[in-house]
Amino acid sequence: MYDIQNVAAVVRECRAAAWLTQSELAARAASSQSGIARIEEGSANPTVRTLSRIVNAAGFDLRVTLVPRPAPDPVIERYKQDVDRSLLRENLRRTIDERLRSLADWQRDSRALQQAVRAARVPT
Amino acid sequence: MTDSITPLQRLLDALHDAGVEFIIVGGVAARAHGSSRLTDDLDVSYSRSPGNIARVVQALASLDPYLRGAPPGLPFEWSDRTLHNGLNFTLTTTAGALDLLGEITGGGGYADLLPHCITVTVFGRETLLLDLPHLIHVKRAAGRPKDFEVIAELEALREETERR
Repeated sequence: MYDIQNVAAVVRECRAAAWLTQSELAARAASSQSGIARIEEGSANPTVRTLSRIVNAAGFDLRVTLVPRPAPDPVIERYKQDVDRSLLRENLRRTIDERLRSLADWQRDSRALQQAVRAARVPT
Repeated sequence: MTDSITPLQRLLDALHDAGVEFIIVGGVAARAHGSSRLTDDLDVSYSRSPGNIARVVQALASLDPYLRGAPPGLPFEWSDRTLHNGLNFTLTTTAGALDLLGEITGGGGYADLLPHCITVTVFGRETLLLDLPHLIHVKRAAGRPKDFEVIAELEALREETERR
């Protein structure tokens, strides 16, 4: 079972199960290779009709199941009040690659800082 | 002069270059989904197939992997046999800390996590990343108090994403 937010996995898995390339699936689904690639990368959000056409083209049917969401956890809800959403919104404006490059830069700078602090502690 | 390749990229490149089947989970995955938190280690779920174990060993061999927190000098052989006999490894490498996870609480192994992944391009390479709903799920399943703030932020991210 797949989460509806993870359309990428639905397309990727049905294509893999049918042993099709992105171009082959695109041809069968009257789509384009770049269109399939964008869905698999999570950067395109197809309609249910389009998704159904794509999985049909790979030899599958699309079924939708309703699953109750877990009840909100009061502890987590309390913690959520303190989340700085302005930072999250700022991050969501970036691509995933930009977010991870930023993390990598922060990690490198943090290590440089830690080394500087260690060096400062060494008695002369 | 600053090296233009960051340690995180070195780790990911090493895994990709050797053809390792892996999924980014944990703090780096959270960051990829938009978390504002910094993390010092890379957590990956890896396939436990014999071929993939051999590729993991090959990928990290040049990065001097060693058990994180183990006393210096403790005998540790980086080999297929070691990986085969273990499951989850918390490692230090010359490119930073790496957690190799054969299984994760509430998520299972690599094959169990595959349906809950998205493919993203990171540092120019296609990489599998645990999706946000499942990342929340496994963090909840772990049930660790230290994760409460993380879960709260991930749930807030999910709300923000759904509003967009």
